[in-house]
Amino acid sequence: MDFVTFLKKLTWRNVVVALAFVFTVLYPLIGGKSYTLHLFILFFIWGVVAASWNLLMGYAGISSLGNIGFLAIGGYVSGILAKSLDLSPWVTIPIGGITSMVLVTLLLGLPALRLKGIYIALLTLIFADSLPSILTQTRDVTGGSMGLHDIPPFFSGMGKIHAYYICFVVFLIAQYIIYRVVHSSTGLAFVALRDSEHFAASLGVNRFKERLKVFALSSFLTGIAGGFYVHSLGDISPTTLAIEPFLLAITMMELGGMGTFFGPILGSAIIVFGGEFLRLAGTLRLSLLGGLICVIVLFFPGGLMQLVEQLEDWVQKRIGRKRSSPAT
Amino acid sequence: MESLVNALVSGLVSGSLYALMALGLTIIYGVSRVFNFGHGIVAVIGAYITWLFLTSVDVGLVPSLLISLLIMSLFGWVIYRLTISPLLKKPNWEFSTVLFMLGLGILLENVTLQLFGPRVKAMPEFLEGSLKLGFVRINWHEVGLILVTVVTVVILNIFFKHTWMGQAMRAVAQSIAGARVVGMDIERIFGYTFGLAFAVTGFSGVILGTKYYMTPHIGWEWMIKGFVIVSLGGLGSTTGAIYAAVILGTVEALATLYLGAIWVWPIWFTLFVIILLIRPQGILGGRVT
Repeated sequence: MDFVTFLKKLTWRNVVVALAFVFTVLYPLIGGKSYTLHLFILFFIWGVVAASWNLLMGYAGISSLGNIGFLAIGGYVSGILAKSLDLSPWVTIPIGGITSMVLVTLLLGLPALRLKGIYIALLTLIFADSLPSILTQTRDVTGGSMGLHDIPPFFSGMGKIHAYYICFVVFLIAQYIIYRVVHSSTGLAFVALRDSEHFAASLGVNRFKERLKVFALSSFLTGIAGGFYVHSLGDISPTTLAIEPFLLAITMMELGGMGTFFGPILGSAIIVFGGEFLRLAGTLRLSLLGGLICVIVLFFPGGLMQLVEQLEDWVQKRIGRKRSSPAT
Repeated sequence: MESLVNALVSGLVSGSLYALMALGLTIIYGVSRVFNFGHGIVAVIGAYITWLFLTSVDVGLVPSLLISLLIMSLFGWVIYRLTISPLLKKPNWEFSTVLFMLGLGILLENVTLQLFGPRVKAMPEFLEGSLKLGFVRINWHEVGLILVTVVTVVILNIFFKHTWMGQAMRAVAQSIAGARVVGMDIERIFGYTFGLAFAVTGFSGVILGTKYYMTPHIGWEWMIKGFVIVSLGGLGSTTGAIYAAVILGTVEALATLYLGAIWVWPIWFTLFVIILLIRPQGILGGRVT
């Protein structure tokens, strides 16, 4: 890449991303506090969840409300296998991801082939809602409502810093995968089916195959995230499937901008790190979240990324105007 | 045998309750094609408002109900005009209305929680005592509930068949384009639809509140069950919803009897999947569009 091309690529967006990347890499080394590291780990995990959920809802246009369930399946399977069979997390996490992918594709993806948007939303919602009761039933294996604890970490003596970097790498890999998919013909197929199903079908896009693909990919990535979640944090319980994490995840996508690439990342960063303010609100937390969703849907359907793009356009116009001003 | 029959009776009772609850959902969907994801919380709020007037102002059950119905219909109308109406005009409405109502539902649930506290409230039962036919035991109260359901359904049927607004709603439900062509004011009709549906839902919340315990959070459970019922019955068909509610109520009661209460949700899920796979338009639903 010669110098001119490099300069062209030096858009402010790329600069910001590069800076953020460098910062995230260096942060633990320049004296990161343990709690902030914990927040970062949460951000990495939820970033993957939000991004894969965005792939399903934003790019493919499938209203799925049950992705937290994918996370739970992946996490529980990995945790249970690691605890009871004493397998290494590096083995159990992929198994968790695959389990999540298979279950979801069979139970949700296949029926979804025949269903319209709203039914899929209901189906996935009920799915995610029935998981807690199944979990409570199978107390011996899953720890019931108390959840799984003392899940073995990636290697003994693992500290927060290690978990940090491991999850960071997972985050990067997942985002890269999603990026490649979005910018591939498959991603184009997703968007085409979302925007104009019949036209896409008439052009030869196979609706069934693409739907299954997106469900499989989304659930696999989320399941993997679940696996890394349990092994980094050590426990999981049915509360992860409660209304609050679900709302938080939805808000991450809506706030950031559904259907954009950076939207979920931005959204999850804001929610995870800004979550502290939510905690201050105490019992009003959920009201705030609900209200936030309402406001975003009504007034900012494109989320922050839409605002960012509008800002960019505005700046471009100003600069353009200056450059083409006849006085100079 | 005894427990089986009792379970069936119990299923009939809960079926009627579910039917009442599903009516509001059917009305909104049938006319405006909007899925009211805040359905549960509307029912709960209707119940809480009634409870509020009942306990604090002490005006008696019927006046409290009437006030609650009035407030709920206003509420429905306002929600429609302020929020749903603008959303419907955008291209993404199916999706955004779902998200919006979801957020609204959470907001309202939490506000209700703040105002009324999480502790369970009990709505007083109408009638005391129970009836015994052989080995079948049923409370007079439960009989009353079934009667209330029947009466409500009859009233609604009269409304839809013989009043102008009712027929207008049916017209829009059948063909919104056709309704527009003959000059109907869709905005106005939708507003009334939401008002009616909210009122009916609020009323059903009161009724449900007499049998089941009441906390703000129970709205979600009611809503999901309502959706499954409406899907089975055929979206937009009130009669279908009633059949479906009774069927599902009975199935639920039987399942609780033979499998245990914890399996209720997975069973609802399985039923839903089966319905959607075999007959997505439900029993009496006509259009799948």
